[in-house]
Amino acid sequence: MLLGIDVGGTHTDAVALDLSGPRVEVAASCKVPTKHDDLLSSVTEALRIILRDIDQSLIKQLNLSTTLSTNAIVEGRTEDVGLLVSAGPGIDPYNFQPCRDFHVLDGSIDHRGNEIKALPMRQAEKAIASCRKNGVRVFAAVGKFSTRNPRHENLIRRMVCQCTDEGACEGADFVTMGHEQGGALNFPRRVATSYFNCAVWRLYNGFATAVRRSLDDMGMSHVTVNMLKADGGTMPLEASRKIPVQSIFSGPAASVMGIIALCDIVHDSVILDIGGTTTDIAVFADGAPLVERDGISIGSHPTLVQALKVKSIGIGGDSAISVIGEEIRVGPHRLGPSVCQGGQRPTLTDALNCTGACALGNMEASKKAIADFAEKHSLSPEKLAETAVEYAARAIHKATRELVDEINSKPVYTIHELLEGKRVVPRKVYLMGGPAEAMKADLFKQFRLSTDVPSNYSVANAIGAALTRTTWELELFADTERHVLFIPSLSHRENIPTSYTEKDARKDAVNNLTIHLDKLGVFLKPEDAQITSSSSFNMVKGYDMVGRNIRVKCQVRPGVVRKIAS
Amino acid sequence: MLKAENTLGIIFFPAFDWSISPTHPEREERLLYTQDQLREEGIFDIEGIGEYKPGVAETEDIERVHFCFPETSSVVTRSHLVSAGGAIRAAELVMTGERRKSFALVRPPGHHAMKVVHGSRGFCTINIEAVMIEWIREHYGPKRVAIIDTDCHHGDGTQDVYWHDPDTLFISMHQDGRTLYPGTGFPQDLGGPAAMGRTLNIPLPPNTSDEGFLMALERIVMPILEDFKPDLIINSAGQDNHFTDPITNMNFSAQGYAALNEILQPDIAVLEGGYAIQGALPYVNLGICLAMAGVDYSQVREPDYSPEQWKQDARTTAYIEQLCEALPELYFTPPPFDGSEKSKQGIISGDWFIRHKDIYYDTDGISEAQIEMVYQCPHCRGLMKYETRSTNNPLCLGIEVPQGACRACKDLGYKMVEEAQIKGQYRYIQFINRRDKDYLRFGF
Ligand SMILES: [Zn+2]
Ligand SMILES: [Zn+2]
Ligand SMILES: [Zn+2]
Repeated sequence: MLLGIDVGGTHTDAVALDLSGPRVEVAASCKVPTKHDDLLSSVTEALRIILRDIDQSLIKQLNLSTTLSTNAIVEGRTEDVGLLVSAGPGIDPYNFQPCRDFHVLDGSIDHRGNEIKALPMRQAEKAIASCRKNGVRVFAAVGKFSTRNPRHENLIRRMVCQCTDEGACEGADFVTMGHEQGGALNFPRRVATSYFNCAVWRLYNGFATAVRRSLDDMGMSHVTVNMLKADGGTMPLEASRKIPVQSIFSGPAASVMGIIALCDIVHDSVILDIGGTTTDIAVFADGAPLVERDGISIGSHPTLVQALKVKSIGIGGDSAISVIGEEIRVGPHRLGPSVCQGGQRPTLTDALNCTGACALGNMEASKKAIADFAEKHSLSPEKLAETAVEYAARAIHKATRELVDEINSKPVYTIHELLEGKRVVPRKVYLMGGPAEAMKADLFKQFRLSTDVPSNYSVANAIGAALTRTTWELELFADTERHVLFIPSLSHRENIPTSYTEKDARKDAVNNLTIHLDKLGVFLKPEDAQITSSSSFNMVKGYDMVGRNIRVKCQVRPGVVRKIAS
Repeated sequence: MLKAENTLGIIFFPAFDWSISPTHPEREERLLYTQDQLREEGIFDIEGIGEYKPGVAETEDIERVHFCFPETSSVVTRSHLVSAGGAIRAAELVMTGERRKSFALVRPPGHHAMKVVHGSRGFCTINIEAVMIEWIREHYGPKRVAIIDTDCHHGDGTQDVYWHDPDTLFISMHQDGRTLYPGTGFPQDLGGPAAMGRTLNIPLPPNTSDEGFLMALERIVMPILEDFKPDLIINSAGQDNHFTDPITNMNFSAQGYAALNEILQPDIAVLEGGYAIQGALPYVNLGICLAMAGVDYSQVREPDYSPEQWKQDARTTAYIEQLCEALPELYFTPPPFDGSEKSKQGIISGDWFIRHKDIYYDTDGISEAQIEMVYQCPHCRGLMKYETRSTNNPLCLGIEVPQGACRACKDLGYKMVEEAQIKGQYRYIQFINRRDKDYLRFGF
């Protein structure tokens, strides 16, 4: 039995899935309102409801997706971070300063990983002392080209804190090192990613500890807990404690994985998850979800956090209806719940109640609210409701077209292959989320494409969370002239002989990925790990070949463990 | 977040699968570290800077500019088509207004490729700037274009392509030809009879530093540009003037290159040479990108750079000062064209300008003997005729009716092609009619 919980902006959805039979069965599901100031209580409440119907000893795993870190950043409830960078020549690093306690040190490492200028220890000590004076307890060390040689980051780490174990100490509670955030080259993104990783660390770890404790209290110590990442994969709870930034924006990923579990998607398709506040739009090419090319932006800071390509617009079931001049609009603001659910302002859901597309909550309240609102603007209630629903469908259609155009005009990668010259032309629309069924006819009118609403659509995101498997990604970089192999995200460094080849590198990348996941308790079939890019360049000095510069990228592809559809 | 003052499109085509030979300076690894540096700096995250994929140039794009013998497909590889396609993409971005400026960071390079192509010379096969400029003129009509070639080697190919074109100003700044390949590019080379002063060479002495380059730029190039009033400024951005370049002897730095671009303000830059692939290219290209975008580049420098070490001596400065005095005159008041028998620049015989050229393709080891003829038309730029043979090909003919040609020159062009076919003394004939966009080949 697998549990999935998705803590969303409006609702917290939970499911229990029974995988013992030939078909995946939804054994239990529920929806509870999300309490923003106490996310843990939403999680435990959903758990309790689910557990009424099932034997908890059968539960093997809980996959959890939460807006905790995202909200903390949006609402500015993050912790002060001491950020120390070694940048060397290039764009002035002060352009990327995300926080007050930011110190640029005079060290420098070049693109091959050669140390050009040693880290000035006195300067580093002064910077750390200044952070401590400001009460900073979490630190990030980021170097330019640290993914080629992490020497400066390691030095800073050791100066901040000498400990080898994970526990807190006098020096610091936590230290993030830039090279562990991923092997991709992008110093400003490494700075931002490391910063956010530190900024949400304490909050996230508090939540992780509380979730674990709640499970223990409920007699579910045996349950494995995984957290969802934005790239459509999970990470084991214990591993996630060091990389909390990876949990940011994981909500949309749960929806996308839910659709993958519920439907057999083979064509270019559009996925619309219509929630209470927003509609998330995702695009599939040849049945595979598209990913952001470099990583998502958090606030105005681009990061290295990998994510599925999802566009959110401010239209959902709880979006308020407004009349501006001649025009009837829906959203982008959410002003409390719908009138049929006890709210004040008529919403899209109220309009859908009036057009007869759905019958949710107090129908009479919806009708009265729409009628009152229509009268105020000298409109007929039918016209108001119909136009509001049409507006919402049109806005969703327009945003989808813009997203598809953007995808077609810029190079985007599918999860496993580059779409060289391919245009995405959606041929199907999949709908999910609360108002999905009610909006189906109106969206079909706009899209004129086959439109599907899978069963269990309203908790599809929790199903997605439950079935999402663990993913990991690493980049291997080898330089046979310097006789060194380095895997930044694992801080793994070893010596290699002159004869080391690209083929050796591919094998080592897969091996290291497998070993690492094995340590995290995740069993990997060898075919699950795939090489996504691989290259080898001859390096020449004068007219002689002096070595090879090898780069290999390897990943466990995001996906679901089982499909419900089949 | 950083924001570009000028929007900039960067077309990156490192041709990771093309090289002249495994250890040749022009090999797969050449733009590897540049790509690493640009990515690591996060340059594509700067608001206003975007990365674009190159297009692939069509055979017609090449044959609009070059006479290729025996045929285009046998001298041009797919990498050349993508490299030229990258330059065209750069032009397209600027011409459509999608970006204010663009930089084609592509290889293989092109500025040693001349009008007639039998093979590769100086690592170049087709002139990607010329292919780009003529693509612009084909699609956007006549344009006044200034090409400022800042590669360390004389841009002899580009000079040859535009020798007779008064609407194209070609200025090459390079290490003095007496000390470096291809051994050409002297001040007396000023262009054909109808385009005197539209070609200008600035041969700089070995060991010229930032100071000398920028002095020549400010005192020679900029006043001429102001007078010429081009619709477009193209920078043939060779980066082998760098103090660490293994095949040249100049002392230019990344800061110098960036400053050059800030002063010159090219609309489009196209990468040419530059073979210090580890110590120079990553920093020089970064500096150029930032300068073009109008983003602060003051912190960009080579790891081992100290300005004092690479300062030019007083004699060099004095020599360049003399150039600054003398050279602008050659543009503003060029001497009359001397078409007499004793002239080395070609002779005027009847209605035709004629010159003989012997061209050596060092990369491919081909020798070519060529007669270039231009009809001295009072109404237009004049019909052009090339008779050429090489160690690779028997006698071939190229005829070009230039853009804006008069009716008579056009008719003459067709007549000459017809006669050449009947006489049958040419193995291959290529006809370029820019007036009617008619491109023909015979003998295949
Ligand atoms: Zn410690
Ligand atoms: Zn050159
Ligand atoms: Zn004429």
